Amino acid sequence: MRIGFIGLGIMGRPMALNLLRGGHQLAVWARRAESMQPLLDAGAATAASPAALAAEAELVISMVADAPDVEQVMLGENGVASGGRAGLVAVDMSTIRPAAARAIASRLLASGIDFLDAPVSGGEVGAVAATLSIMVGGSAAAFAVAHPAFGCMGRNIVHVGDSGAGQVAKAANQIVTGVGVLTVAEALNFAARSGVDPARVREALLGGFAYSKILENHGQRMLERNFKPGFKSWMHQKDMNIVMQSAHELGLCLPVSAATAQMFNAMVGSGLGEEDSIAILKLLERLSGGEG
Amino acid sequence: MRLGFIGCGVMGRPMALHLLRAGYRLAVWARRREAAQPLLAAGALACASPAAVAGEAEVVFTVVTADADVEQLAFAGGGLADGFAAGSILVDMSTIAPQTARSIARRLAAQGVDLLDAPVSGGGQGAIAASLSIMVGGKAAVLERVRPLFELLGRTIVHVGDHGAGQVAKACNQMVMVATIQAVAEALHLSRAAGVDPERVQQALAGGSAGSRVLQLMGGRMVARDFAAGVEARLHHKDYGVLIAEAQRLGLPLPVSAQVCQQLNALMAMGWGRCDTATLLRVLEAGRAPQTGD
Repeated sequence: MRIGFIGLGIMGRPMALNLLRGGHQLAVWARRAESMQPLLDAGAATAASPAALAAEAELVISMVADAPDVEQVMLGENGVASGGRAGLVAVDMSTIRPAAARAIASRLLASGIDFLDAPVSGGEVGAVAATLSIMVGGSAAAFAVAHPAFGCMGRNIVHVGDSGAGQVAKAANQIVTGVGVLTVAEALNFAARSGVDPARVREALLGGFAYSKILENHGQRMLERNFKPGFKSWMHQKDMNIVMQSAHELGLCLPVSAATAQMFNAMVGSGLGEEDSIAILKLLERLSGGEG
Repeated sequence: MRLGFIGCGVMGRPMALHLLRAGYRLAVWARRREAAQPLLAAGALACASPAAVAGEAEVVFTVVTADADVEQLAFAGGGLADGFAAGSILVDMSTIAPQTARSIARRLAAQGVDLLDAPVSGGGQGAIAASLSIMVGGKAAVLERVRPLFELLGRTIVHVGDHGAGQVAKACNQMVMVATIQAVAEALHLSRAAGVDPERVQQALAGGSAGSRVLQLMGGRMVARDFAAGVEARLHHKDYGVLIAEAQRLGLPLPVSAQVCQQLNALMAMGWGRCDTATLLRVLEAGRAPQTGD
């Protein structure tokens, strides 16, 4: 399939490489030209703009930071909408507000472009290993067109529902992972400050009802004090903000998510924004009178 | 000085009447014409658009609900910006995001118009009694020109700082006030569940370090189970959206405010947005199994 790919950051680059490896014909565009080089070296073509990319493709995929970026590459000047033919399928795999995804879908539909919101979970590790979870919102027809491409990037591919449903699932995912990272950090800090080896505590917990992937993977990195991203804290802050905005619109009481969002605010405000979200451990240590 | 006024709600109407009674010429516009009727009856001049109000006035006051309302009044077609002469002043007394106030100030400055963000505290009663607290952001010299008008509306007039500073102070005001309402609701909820008369507890607390205007006013409403508005809770819910977004923008943890916001979310979901914020007590009660005698 001829696929155009927009956005080649921590997540986008390995995802695009996996599409190439899957035998797809790939063209790429990124705001910073130098970020396209690894893809060129691997055999991808480049395009001068998202519009030019869309003109040559059957499927366009974007993986960028936030809703304004998606709006820009899809609907802005020289965006996908201005180059894509009717019948094109456009997929955004970034994490944005469900309401923003629905609005983009309806505006693209006016140009005859079928839009899927398809955010992912699994982090950089999952992107490299092509084991991402992909949560998809949009029409079944567009889902069928994009499915072979999804298969090159991920393992657990779920068509959740209509437009926006993928982003709702992702927001729910970020509630569980955001709260989970904070909980594991609290438990390990609690153990350490009680004079007990947190590594042994983690090991003990892994066998019981407290087992989770976050305890296993993030917990291990906390013990190693490896705060290199991974998934940057400022991005988790952004995602929790999406959750809390939706809760405000819907009239939903989310007390634990609210507390977690405040902790991510504190991380970004205290200079931990560029570190992995597990650096929330450092913040807890500081708040508990430790060095952090 | 010729004045303009837009926003004839619970707050705006009594404020505009104070200006009229002081003898000022007041041009008004309202989306629903009948909302302006009490002001027209008191001698205000009806205008066909916000731009027409701006054309008739050196100082225009706006008291509306949300960021989008103020932006639309200012910049939509036929908006204030279309009618303002250079040297005019817009005094926005609505509660909106500091960032929105700053952006409106920048855009108006380009045509030589000054903005003051001047949100108020004191509620409908304070507006009627002309005893409002007015928190002002903008240039000191502009405030001095408007100060005699503010003195007709309120008692405490503080120049907090530059553009947006008034709105920052208002966000702080809402934070302290609504968190206190929640604390009072929790205290009275605990009293009742423990089999102790909430009214006696409220009386006892009033004399000590926990005494506050909120304990007296909202606590009184909770004891009397009088949840008719006062200040509609939906407005506090809107204000919490502003301040939680501000915390996110600044990378600032506000753990208590975040929890209070969740209680307000629940209140909205239960359909009590038009009741007084003392209704936070009922949100707590809704989370508890019904007791004999409830």
